[in-house]
Amino acid sequence: MNRNAITAVAFLVMFAGLGAAYLYLSRDVAAAARSAAQAPAFEVDPLWPKPLPNHWVLGSTIGVSVDESDHVWIIHRSSATLGNNEKGLELKPPTGECCAGAPPVLEFDQAGNLLNHWGGPGQGYEWPSSNHGITVDYKGNVWIGGNGEGDAQLLKFTKSGKFLLQVGRANARAVPADKEGVSKFGGNSNDTTSFGRVAKIFVDPKENEAFISDGYLNKRVVVLDADTGAFKRYWGAYGNKPDDTNLGPYNPDAPPAPQFRNPVHCAELSVDRLLYVCDRVNDRIQVFTPAGKFLKEAFIAKKSLGEGSVWDIAFSKDPQQTYIFLADGRNMKIRILKRDTLEELTNFGDGGRQPGQFYAPHSLAVDSKGNLYTTETYEGKRVQRFVYKGLRPVSTKDQGVVWPR
Amino acid sequence: MRILAAVAAAIVFSSSAYAHDVPDDVVMQAFLQPGGGRVSLLVRVPLTAMRDVDIPSRAGGFVDLARVEPTLRHAATVWLLQGINLLQDGRVLPTGTLAGVRLSLPSDRAFESFETARAQLTGPPLDPAMQVMWEQGTLDALIEYPLEHSGGRIAWRADVRRLGQRVTTVLRLVTADGAVRAFEWHGDPGVVQLDPHWHQAALSFLRAGVSHVFSGPDHLLFLLCIAIPLRRVRTLVLVVTSFTIAHATTLVASAYGVAPSGGWFPPLVETLIAASIVWMALENIFDSVAGRDIEAAGGRAVARRWAATTVFGLIHGFGFSFALRDQLQFAGTHLLTSLLAFNVGVEIAQLVVIVGAAAAVTLAFRRLASPRVAAIVVSAIAAHTGWDWLLERGAVWWRFPWPAPSPAALVAVGIWLALAAVAAAGAWGIRRLLDGAARPERGPRAVSGKPA
Repeated sequence: MNRNAITAVAFLVMFAGLGAAYLYLSRDVAAAARSAAQAPAFEVDPLWPKPLPNHWVLGSTIGVSVDESDHVWIIHRSSATLGNNEKGLELKPPTGECCAGAPPVLEFDQAGNLLNHWGGPGQGYEWPSSNHGITVDYKGNVWIGGNGEGDAQLLKFTKSGKFLLQVGRANARAVPADKEGVSKFGGNSNDTTSFGRVAKIFVDPKENEAFISDGYLNKRVVVLDADTGAFKRYWGAYGNKPDDTNLGPYNPDAPPAPQFRNPVHCAELSVDRLLYVCDRVNDRIQVFTPAGKFLKEAFIAKKSLGEGSVWDIAFSKDPQQTYIFLADGRNMKIRILKRDTLEELTNFGDGGRQPGQFYAPHSLAVDSKGNLYTTETYEGKRVQRFVYKGLRPVSTKDQGVVWPR
Repeated sequence: MRILAAVAAAIVFSSSAYAHDVPDDVVMQAFLQPGGGRVSLLVRVPLTAMRDVDIPSRAGGFVDLARVEPTLRHAATVWLLQGINLLQDGRVLPTGTLAGVRLSLPSDRAFESFETARAQLTGPPLDPAMQVMWEQGTLDALIEYPLEHSGGRIAWRADVRRLGQRVTTVLRLVTADGAVRAFEWHGDPGVVQLDPHWHQAALSFLRAGVSHVFSGPDHLLFLLCIAIPLRRVRTLVLVVTSFTIAHATTLVASAYGVAPSGGWFPPLVETLIAASIVWMALENIFDSVAGRDIEAAGGRAVARRWAATTVFGLIHGFGFSFALRDQLQFAGTHLLTSLLAFNVGVEIAQLVVIVGAAAAVTLAFRRLASPRVAAIVVSAIAAHTGWDWLLERGAVWWRFPWPAPSPAALVAVGIWLALAAVAAAGAWGIRRLLDGAARPERGPRAVSGKPA
């Protein structure tokens, strides 16, 4: 046999070997795909967003929303949550060349560029003393709540920051001062004019209704007319009439609490018109009809104490919204649940300050491509993007940091 | 009093011309469907892209939806109708007529398909009582162009750059069989053939292949490194053709979605391209230092270079595929033809470069006292440049960890090994053919170049 024939035979043997290996491994891959549950997979994008201009830095970042153009809107508490060592440019006299708090409302494009910024006190409205939550609605309007001491109002603006509507009045929850003359605030979850430190707003395009997570002082969900701000209905846990009685600290071994604990931190309506409410400190999601009829509940990381485990949710972008992404700021991770069963499939993230880690992940939003955005409060002070990598079989419950591969 | 009230009402509820800034980013969505003796064009543009338009407003600054339609018609005529031209078989169709117009909310998803977009434009307008701020709305328009005859190939020519600082057009062509072909481009690309003939696609991709070689310094440097020790036309053609077959294999495979999708892959390929330059340059240096003329040595020496260019060709093919990714939308139904044409373009440009480089090297070396030293110097410069790229690109790649081993990853590796084997077998076959053709009479050197 000459050399050419040997080479040709070698090629043929190689093709045959590769073909056999392909058939063998493909069978394994298909079997693994059939047997495992699937869940959306993500990788952190460590280069998003780009650095802010003007030596600006973020304060505690407590809201994120994605608009119809896939622009990412965040709200943060800026200088109010920055130490003097972080805001030297703002001090009088300035103590250094850096830094200053960025304006509260920031809009980023998909490339991570800062497009627009606004926010803060102005004519005709009462800006919250501690802003909280941001939502861009189906008309392109921007809604903002607040959980500062006297915050009992919510605000609506255009995307460019033009004021449109205020519902509720600041300090409406004030109660008589104590003996030392210190003013105090108390919940009134049956008030139909103001709120008690609003956490978040969701606007239903079908009925033009705004669902208010109310809140850090009240213990209810409120539904408003999204144009006029008129109160339409409200309810507490299990659809009960809300009650502001202090329930004491959460005890995971006690029977489920008959009312929400503060804060009621999110209320999101799904495509099949189920309202998912974050009862943060009670470590649970409660599900209602839009009219307020209780349907079911599920506990998430039920042993979590302190701030609780159910901070915010967002739905996956498939037409059925098959999955729920849940920000668990107590345990520093994002959990992925099946929406129909509320069963946790997997989670990712861990405590830390590097990309893909979290310090108190507070809010979530998903863009049209399925990418996930998170913001972190307290000293987390940032927004991160997690790139959607498609559905993958679940191989582990705790994925840890989802670093790019 | 009545007069005062009328003046106040006129001020509050009047139409006002919105002379706002040119928006930074504008996305124009469009559907195009030929059929029934006309082409239906559905367009959606943000209202902020329409400047100097009088939008009627009502209390609170909201759009007066009951009075807005004439304004939308005017805006669509000035900003869309007058800027968009369609061509049928190369002839410009008469100006279209505005068959429908409406204002939509930013969250409206009707433009996800042709049917829903058309239903939106022929359906009822927004409830006049709705509160909408004009700068958050979109203008939707239905424009119809009469066709000169049924069939024919439609082309798009529109200068919509005045809509914004950066205008992105997302166009979907709905073909007669209901298939949807998607296009996306920025600014004004000139005439876009939406359904090109095979020869139009081939010519366009052939040009792209030629221009890509001349615009890529790393490919040019690699070709120079190949040319330095080779001066026989037959050897040059053999080596360059092997390189082309190899890069065509990976380019075509990438276009059909076989390439790894991980973020680590493009920087790895760019790093390996830099490594290929360093390898070839060092090989040239070692051969020159050892006084080895690989063409004179023949056999194994040529085979080694042939094998190296084949392997590196596989890598360069991935690099070409990254460059071609945005162009494939213009291939129409002729994806394979276009890819082959691109490869032919690359091959033509490579042969021009390599023959030119070989001639230049030969000429230059002939005038020098020591061609061997000249080969070492030129190769050293190439190696130095390649090394810089290698470090730079390697640093980017190094940030990405390897994908976790899994059966799926092994399958992907197996597919690539098979493709590599196909390329090697093809290149080996060509070499055998060329050897066979050349055996009766061993060809003299096209250009003599004795090593020092």
